[in-house]
Amino acid sequence: MKIDRRSFLSLGMGVAAGTALSPLPWKLIDDISIWTQMWPWTPVPEIGEVNYVNSTCTLCPGGCGITVRKIGDRAVKVEGKEGHPINSGGVCLLGLSGLQNLYGYDRRIKTPLKRIGNRGQGSFQKITWDEAISEVVNKLSEVRSTGQAHAVSCISGSDQGTVAQLLKRFLTAYGSPNFFTMPSMQDSYELALYLTQGIQASVAFDVENSDFVLSFGSGIVEGWGSPVRMFQASSRWREGKGKVVQIEPRLSITAAKSDKWIPIKPGTEAALALGLASVIIKESLYDKEFVENYAFGFENWKDDAGKTQIGFKQFVLEGYGPDKVAKITGIDKSTIISLARSFVRASKPLAIGGRNQGRSTSGRLNEFMAIYALNALVGNINKTGGVWSIPKPGYIKWPKVEMDDVAEKGIKEPRIDAAGSASYPYSQYLLNRVPGILNSGQENPIQVLFVAGANPIYALPNTKAVKEAFDKIPYIVGFSSYLDETAKYADIILPNHVYLERYEDIPTPVGFQKPFIGLAKPVIAPQFETKNLGDTIFLLAKGLGGTIEKAFPWDDYETCLKETLSEKWDSLEENGYWIDSSLKPADWKNAFKTASKKFEFIAAGKAKDIASLFGFSSSTLEGDEASYPLVLIPYDSMRLANGFIGDPPFVMKAVEDTVLKGKDVLIEINPETAKQLGMSEGGFAKLATPVGTAKVRVHLYDGIMPGIIALPRGLGHTAYDKFLGGKGVNFNELIGSVEDPVSGLDATWGIRAKLTKA
Amino acid sequence: MKEEHKHIKAKKYGMVIDLDKCTGCGACMVACMAENNVPFKEDETDKLLSITWLRIYKLTNGKPFPETDICYLPRPCMHCEGQHGHAPCVSVCPATVTDYDMETGIVSQIYTRCFGCRYCMAACPYHARYFNWWDPVWPEGMEKYLNPNVSPRMRGVVEKCSFCFPRYQVAKDKAMAEGRREVEEHEYQTACTQACPAGAITFGDLNNPKHAVYKLKMSPNAFRLLERLGTNPKVYYISSREWVRRSGDNYLANEVKIKKL
Amino acid sequence: MDSALIPVMDDALKPKGVQRCPIWQFALWICIFGAILLWGVYAMFLCWFKGLNQTNMNDAYGFALWIWADLAVIALGGGAFFTGFLRYIIGKDELKNIINYAVLIGFICYSSALLILAIDVGQPLRAWFIFWHANVHSMLTEVAFCLSCYFGVLTIEYIPLVLENRQIDKVPFFHNLAHNMHEIMAIFAATGAFLSFFHQGSLGGVAGVLFGRPFGYREGVLIWPWTFFLFTWSAAACGPCFTIMITKLTEVITGKKLVKQNVIDLLAKISGWMLASYIIAKILDTVYWATVTVPDMGYTLKHFYSNPVYGIWILFLEIVLGGILPAIILITKTGRNNNVTLWIAVVLAVIGVSVNRWVMVLQVMAVPILPFESWYLYLPSWQETATTILPVAYGILLVMLSYRYLPIFPQERELNPID
Repeated sequence: MKIDRRSFLSLGMGVAAGTALSPLPWKLIDDISIWTQMWPWTPVPEIGEVNYVNSTCTLCPGGCGITVRKIGDRAVKVEGKEGHPINSGGVCLLGLSGLQNLYGYDRRIKTPLKRIGNRGQGSFQKITWDEAISEVVNKLSEVRSTGQAHAVSCISGSDQGTVAQLLKRFLTAYGSPNFFTMPSMQDSYELALYLTQGIQASVAFDVENSDFVLSFGSGIVEGWGSPVRMFQASSRWREGKGKVVQIEPRLSITAAKSDKWIPIKPGTEAALALGLASVIIKESLYDKEFVENYAFGFENWKDDAGKTQIGFKQFVLEGYGPDKVAKITGIDKSTIISLARSFVRASKPLAIGGRNQGRSTSGRLNEFMAIYALNALVGNINKTGGVWSIPKPGYIKWPKVEMDDVAEKGIKEPRIDAAGSASYPYSQYLLNRVPGILNSGQENPIQVLFVAGANPIYALPNTKAVKEAFDKIPYIVGFSSYLDETAKYADIILPNHVYLERYEDIPTPVGFQKPFIGLAKPVIAPQFETKNLGDTIFLLAKGLGGTIEKAFPWDDYETCLKETLSEKWDSLEENGYWIDSSLKPADWKNAFKTASKKFEFIAAGKAKDIASLFGFSSSTLEGDEASYPLVLIPYDSMRLANGFIGDPPFVMKAVEDTVLKGKDVLIEINPETAKQLGMSEGGFAKLATPVGTAKVRVHLYDGIMPGIIALPRGLGHTAYDKFLGGKGVNFNELIGSVEDPVSGLDATWGIRAKLTKA
Repeated sequence: MKEEHKHIKAKKYGMVIDLDKCTGCGACMVACMAENNVPFKEDETDKLLSITWLRIYKLTNGKPFPETDICYLPRPCMHCEGQHGHAPCVSVCPATVTDYDMETGIVSQIYTRCFGCRYCMAACPYHARYFNWWDPVWPEGMEKYLNPNVSPRMRGVVEKCSFCFPRYQVAKDKAMAEGRREVEEHEYQTACTQACPAGAITFGDLNNPKHAVYKLKMSPNAFRLLERLGTNPKVYYISSREWVRRSGDNYLANEVKIKKL
Repeated sequence: MDSALIPVMDDALKPKGVQRCPIWQFALWICIFGAILLWGVYAMFLCWFKGLNQTNMNDAYGFALWIWADLAVIALGGGAFFTGFLRYIIGKDELKNIINYAVLIGFICYSSALLILAIDVGQPLRAWFIFWHANVHSMLTEVAFCLSCYFGVLTIEYIPLVLENRQIDKVPFFHNLAHNMHEIMAIFAATGAFLSFFHQGSLGGVAGVLFGRPFGYREGVLIWPWTFFLFTWSAAACGPCFTIMITKLTEVITGKKLVKQNVIDLLAKISGWMLASYIIAKILDTVYWATVTVPDMGYTLKHFYSNPVYGIWILFLEIVLGGILPAIILITKTGRNNNVTLWIAVVLAVIGVSVNRWVMVLQVMAVPILPFESWYLYLPSWQETATTILPVAYGILLVMLSYRYLPIFPQERELNPID
């Protein structure tokens, strides 16, 4: 048949009409749209049985109770534990994003690793646990056999809890006194407690019951102390149950939340505290009952040699009158006087210190002493709403370590940092001194370094010096779960489980009033070939044998923990925590274990004179004013974790665009100062300090004192994952470590700086 | 159906956020992200391309040092009631993707129906709606924490705060199974409310005198954002500071007193 | 195929009795605009395959360049419906000499609008949900329905033109089809006009109903905000100006008079009066909005023009330069009859309506609404620009092809006799 044009067209039209009328095109259109609704590359979360596991968050020293929602064998959400004594259901953003640490495969260390590239380059090869343990054991045996047992040292995040104590015990049995913890305000607080009250205890703040909080730059709602607990206390105050006065040069969130913000020249906080004391004393507003009956060194006194020593009263009245303090601090005399009056007139006043989160540095001792003296003057020591001392948890009662000759000899060697020696008799750990000692000495006092629960390369001041010091250490063993800066610097990594995969006891969080133990529990099975650090220690001890092995008579860490916690275990398993709610702070008659059995303004026999404890000097800032006209201070934010843990992606997402823009950090500067420097919002600038330089962008902020610039802690990571690494500047690269003249602790709070247009 | 519903008073879920207590810590933001499978990408510093169902704004009083003051303001979806449920976004959606639920007062969003015209985003004065400019990608391992009650979205659709509506469904199912008609106040709380460490967020039925929000919203310090536009939002804020309350709406220079609508 | 065949085919397809440029010249221009078209097509595929992250839109700019382009081309394409309305409903018979071109321009504008929408939506493969799950309260639903229907109408209006091609016309079926379609064209024109009145209005409603966006929001009657009527009105006023502008442009390019001056004059005169009445209404609307609507919401007029980009100049440009001035020119006989002033008037009118559509989309997004926000500014990405230029290239190509092979201008032969 010949197909003419006409029939061809009819046919075509027929086919078209037929197709359109058939279900085919409609079905296709529908199918395509269904496909767009369930693209194969969009994950579909598996469903399953829902259950909750209670545990304790270990991402900061806060000790919050958490409950983890599980679907089948997946953990899907971390929530605050209702009714928990620390956080009663609240939880912070870092805790909430905990699962991104667990499931963040890109930041985790999955198997034991051995370094193959250069230090810090991050090239590792996978090795088995057997290989890893035997390699570390061999190294330790070798060092021990050369009589250098004391040259094995350990940096730990804390010295509390069984894991830290097992590490310490390991060093003891091995023969080294060189155990270190990372600096925090607790060092200074505990030292102040020891000097004034003669006890080794933890400091606690009864913030829930205080009605007037005088904060010397403490970031009450920015992560100071146990963060969630402090948030809840803050909310009580906002309900009218208390007032807060915040003293700091920058309008922090805490300052904005407070009833009064008093900007102060940074670094002069101690002088202000003494000035307030002088007003209180001059106007005779202090708690006479306490000061007259339970305090020593308030009035002038005679020492053993019969020489008259100046007491606190004369010291502050003469040296720190409001006129002089006004000049030092830049705060009006009238403000100082009225502040002192409001402080004493409150029924439960409380003075606190420790700048920002109080976790990056120990602080100046004189500042903590002066703040402590304010508390003593109003008689709130161990009182409701005041500052308490509570005994350190004593549940770890392991048999004394049996030491062989090598250990006996090694443990008697002086500590590298000279802590506890004649120079620094009252300090326990002075890690801040170590990089300097390593960098200046010819020999290597550290042959092997363990790093556990800490990220010193990132978190210690003067990153460059720290790295240089680490370069001198021949062998670094990392125990981190994450490929952080220090892990990247290790020679071998024996990775710990992530906190949601392991058991661990978390003793009394910073500043909490009751003896408390939180229990971290394995919420899910380990994702990778990692081991609980406790078990790793046992394996190392076993490998070394002898008395070292004998010091660890447990089959595994879980058994050790259960035995150690003995009768508390059931409560811990059930509730996730144990608390001694009955504990009341000792009354004034029994509280003080000093020579005078009183609260000592001047630790008789311990301190040279009162000025050495309280005296204010303004010379703690590195750099000269001519070359560095500005002062750089750090600030902490809940949205930027700056310690051992780096921000997970969710937390990074919460970082404000006035803090980080792309990969650039913004430095806060007063518009007036910026104008003088010819800088405008968002502009690029070069920031230089005596320690380092960095490229930053400028954020104009009216809330910062002219002449001061502020940079957040927690950025500038060079490790972790793409969500965190390579963004912003690490504050520690710009700041040096300044030693407190009395304690030897790190007392850095800022540094001189220069900002130039880039 | 209508007859049956008559004797159960319609609920009007809403929120009261105490800005005096809020510290801008960001816990609510992250609680929301974790609960609702919100994706993340390498750079989230461009806040106009960053999906945050709940965003925290930083307000300043604009005064120089040392008179400066700041206040943080968390902004979830306002679940506007408009007039009779005509929220700005609801009436504009061409495909009935977003709806005002008369039973709960929640403005819903059906992601699989949304075809991404973004008219609702243009309509929303609060910028509470977010577009998936990218395919959501969870790095290896992270897909394991995804919550099965909230479906992950695909590229090209708009998403927003749902007042954790799936939590309401779970609570309602539980109540039904136990033979109860009503969901108790504590049984249905949003993830942000639950997480807030400062206890600044209160959530509940604004119509129910027994719920905490009922009283809180009547505080003389309570205000809503952009009330004058007639959006009739269901999120209330409380602040003891006048400049903060004034930041909630626009006023002409000669309007000294805040007009209460 | 033998390349020698091309000129032969070209000749066979061209209408009889008219002069066209040599095939090589034609081919060259086809290639140039084809390349631009391909660039746009490449950007279009990028947007489809990689998603809208290819644009510079963001959560503050959900509507941006594309939506403006849509609104603008639909307004400019309004010449088709309004000329049709005048020709078939009002009975202005002279306009039959320009109606073909008006229809072609309308067809290009509307098909472009649909294409841009298909790129603009996040999920084009299920964009038909707008019909399936239609929300009758949404202006966009109305737009989608009317737009699609009117595009159908324009297609039906354009088909007879295509059928009049010399070769196609030889087929009796097509010849008859074309003839019959012409017979009933009045019905389609009426339908088209009706649909257009609605969707032009609905497009105005798109911004006008946004009571959360004070810059766009307008009060109105019943469910229709004033912008509903203003958009229809302005499209009716400026659409024909665009038709005139393109016709005159075609005349310049071809170097021929294609439409008699009386036709142009009539259309220009009607446009002028439309524009004049529109701009009065627009001014009244603006005054009412500025003095009653926004102060009630707590804003002043100044607030909306407090940005260097969005300063008061833009209002001046839209209303005075793009409205009052061309209206005055077009309603005066001397203004219309002077080639230069006519040119100025139609160009200004086109700019005026485009600026109006721009501010009603982009400035609506740019203005800070919450007191603690600042202005949002935006620059389109190259992908957005390319996909917006794509319809322009496509339009030029379609005009080139249509002009070359179809009897678009009935008066061409009479005005340009070949010996």
